[in-house]
Amino acid sequence: MTPGEAATAAGGQDAALLDAQGVGKRFGAVVALSDGRLRVEAGEIHALLGANGCGKSTLCKVIAGTVAPDSGTIAVGGDVVQFRNPRDAEQAGIALFYQELSLIPQLSVAANIGLGREPRTGLGFVDRRRLNSEAEALIALFAGVAGAELKPEAIVADLTPDLRQIVEILKVLARRPRLIILDEATAALDGRQSARLFEILRARKAEGVSTLMISHRLDEVFAVSDRITVMRGGATVAQLVTAGTNRDQVVRHMVGDARIHPVTSQRMPPALAEPRLTAQGVRNARVHDVSLSLRPGEIVGLGGLQGQGQSALLQGLFGALPFTAGRVTIAGETVALTRTADAIRRGLAYVSGDRGRDAALTGRSIFENLVAALLVREKRRLVRPSELDPLATRHADSLNTQYAGLDAPIGTLSGGNQQKIFIARWLATGPRVLLLDDPTKGIDLAAKGDLLAIMRKLADEGASILIYSSEDAELIEWCDRVLVFNSGRIVTELAGPTLDHFHLARAAYGEAA
Amino acid sequence: MSAVVRSRPWLLTLIALAVLVAVNTALQPSFVQPAVLQSNLTTFLPLTLVAIGQTYVVMGGDIDLSVGAIAALVNVVTVSAIAAVGGDGLTPIIAGLAAGLATAVVCGVINGVLVAVLRLQAIVTTFATGIVFAGTALFVLPQAGLPVPEAFWRSYGATLIGLPVVLWILLAGLAFALFLGRRPFVAHLTAVGGSRVGAFQTGLSLSRVRIGAFVLSALFAGFAALCLTGETASGDPLLGQSLALSSISAVVLGGTALSGGSGGPVGSILGALVLGMIGNVIFFAGLPFAWQTLVQGLIVLAALAGGVLVTRR
Ligand SMILES: Nc1ncnc2c1ncn2[C@@H]1O[C@H](COP(=O)(O)OP(=O)(O)OP(=O)(O)O)[C@@H](O)[C@H]1O
Ligand SMILES: [Mg+2]
Repeated sequence: MTPGEAATAAGGQDAALLDAQGVGKRFGAVVALSDGRLRVEAGEIHALLGANGCGKSTLCKVIAGTVAPDSGTIAVGGDVVQFRNPRDAEQAGIALFYQELSLIPQLSVAANIGLGREPRTGLGFVDRRRLNSEAEALIALFAGVAGAELKPEAIVADLTPDLRQIVEILKVLARRPRLIILDEATAALDGRQSARLFEILRARKAEGVSTLMISHRLDEVFAVSDRITVMRGGATVAQLVTAGTNRDQVVRHMVGDARIHPVTSQRMPPALAEPRLTAQGVRNARVHDVSLSLRPGEIVGLGGLQGQGQSALLQGLFGALPFTAGRVTIAGETVALTRTADAIRRGLAYVSGDRGRDAALTGRSIFENLVAALLVREKRRLVRPSELDPLATRHADSLNTQYAGLDAPIGTLSGGNQQKIFIARWLATGPRVLLLDDPTKGIDLAAKGDLLAIMRKLADEGASILIYSSEDAELIEWCDRVLVFNSGRIVTELAGPTLDHFHLARAAYGEAA
Repeated sequence: MSAVVRSRPWLLTLIALAVLVAVNTALQPSFVQPAVLQSNLTTFLPLTLVAIGQTYVVMGGDIDLSVGAIAALVNVVTVSAIAAVGGDGLTPIIAGLAAGLATAVVCGVINGVLVAVLRLQAIVTTFATGIVFAGTALFVLPQAGLPVPEAFWRSYGATLIGLPVVLWILLAGLAFALFLGRRPFVAHLTAVGGSRVGAFQTGLSLSRVRIGAFVLSALFAGFAALCLTGETASGDPLLGQSLALSSISAVVLGGTALSGGSGGPVGSILGALVLGMIGNVIFFAGLPFAWQTLVQGLIVLAALAGGVLVTRR
């Protein structure tokens, strides 16, 4: 890095803030990037789009100095740079929000935000006061939309997924970059939190700071971005101006000639059968007196703002956060759900969007990750891989997961493809009740379509599905009815004509619908 | 309560130590006499020092099995250097101390570079370097011997401003631990042990931090070797063979997770003292010596299990 040297790549004063050309990267046999191209101007919000596994995260990591490219050039402000590590990139004014988060779970929020650039006292000690007050000032950016647990002293491992995601955002902002790169930063955020993030980004834009954002949510892309770069299969295929394009065009670039399921649901009126699952007055740490009933064939949504007890309810039903009061019945029989193994054997399945904490058997192969739940369900002790292989392959393929082989480590998959494996893990158990906790976090449009199709099929075969999503559109399009949560209670049930964005938002914010 | 214990697991170790001290005093009323305390402390001090150093390596997610061999090597290098310089006065002693500690630093750098730069597995690497260091020690001094000057061991057993030198050394170790604990280094070490990927992505230099931890570990093994030299007043290439595993036991007892990313040296100091006191209590309760290792093992096992239960909330 020699910022002093004359510009060679883009030349002159119209040099872009960032100009990446022909970036290539292979991981063993997998070509993650073949021709990554990206040009970000100063003071713009730029969206990077593409299907799962098309190389977006890899390109960002190359730009941020985490991954060394095999080929291609990167120029910052016209100067060709070669980052040896993330510190070099940070010094050039680039900071990356990592899709899988770069936080240290054991450290406090303040320590994470300040990690590597701690303020010091005269004796060279960490200046805890200043560390905390700097974190406090950053946390204030999300005042009102983040939970009260978000404090400088809070340990990151104890935070909910949305708050951890906010800490990662603050960590990026604390580095005062010229280029903020957000790799699916809104994946676990609710509407209000995302809106606040975009307010912050617009304010930074006015100061000349650029943002590169990756998102699978086209709504927000069209709402905030100035320009769009689309990637497919490791290469950049389109560079567009947001105002001059539309969703259809973007999606066509993303999928190429591939067919895409329409993301809508043909609703079938659920059969008037006996309820499959009922809960009466259940409570745990975050759920206060909730009652509901699920019939076979029904897809029921849980709505509301982030962290109002939706996840806690699902985890309660799954025995991961056992209920302290109330009664749960499955097929008419009262059951005690105090251990996840019991829940699994009763035919319950739980897909978490928080793959880092709940789902991944890190370092293990894709195959092991896939069959983990099946083994518990069937109380198996001995595994003959040859017998399970075809099953694993079929389920992994059901969402078009891209992987080199079943025995590759799970960490080599792209974020979205990992999530598909965790969904497939539970589909493999043939669940009677499927609990989905923000399952689409990070998966692309095509996979969402596939997931919906699979959910519909399971429901039509008689399964009951309870789903929480941080994206209202999914609840509206996918569910037969939606229970809206506020402070651990169900405040409203929406169905039929009242199930729309307007009513959902109104109920979420606490006004009677 | 549980939150307090979770952030300071060594509180439990402190309670255990208090109980052991009480039991020991009941069994052996002379325990609280200054001379007896000093002789006990002299016995416990080497392990306590090694445990402080080991803590840093474990916090960073590694492990150092070579500390015993480093102690032996430092001991023989020190006595050999003293003998080589010869003569009276302070010069040979200072030369010996310097040679010994320089050897420790070299050993730590070797471990750190192999593990952090060449990315060899810490447990296997330090097992192997331990054999190499032990072999080198035998090469330097094939047989126990070479007495050190009287001034060396006399000052180790002396008192300074009314307190025994061994206590001053322990306090210095504690002070160093507290000092380092407030420097960014320990935060970085915790990060490196807690999440290698996250620490790298944050821009920390993993190899610098990990090599630093191995150097600290070796340096504290060196200090322990100097204490042992003061105690035995001679060189012994086979000294300190149980230090590696005992120091890891002390670290675990002190509430530092072997998976890295948590804990601290204050707990390990307490853990080392607990291990020593267990030996005392068993001796004065008249139980056979074989019980000592068994009980220590069971207690370490309990601490490991307890640590897992605490982190599982
Ligand atoms: N460390 C690695 N080892 C092996 N393969 C990898 C590694 N990292 C990424 N890949 C592969 O490179 C390809 C691109 O991955 P990348 O994470 O860049 O995708 P992405 O566009 O970010 O997808 P998503 O939307 O799912 O996050 C994938 O096929 C992935 O399996
Ligand atoms: Mg990605």
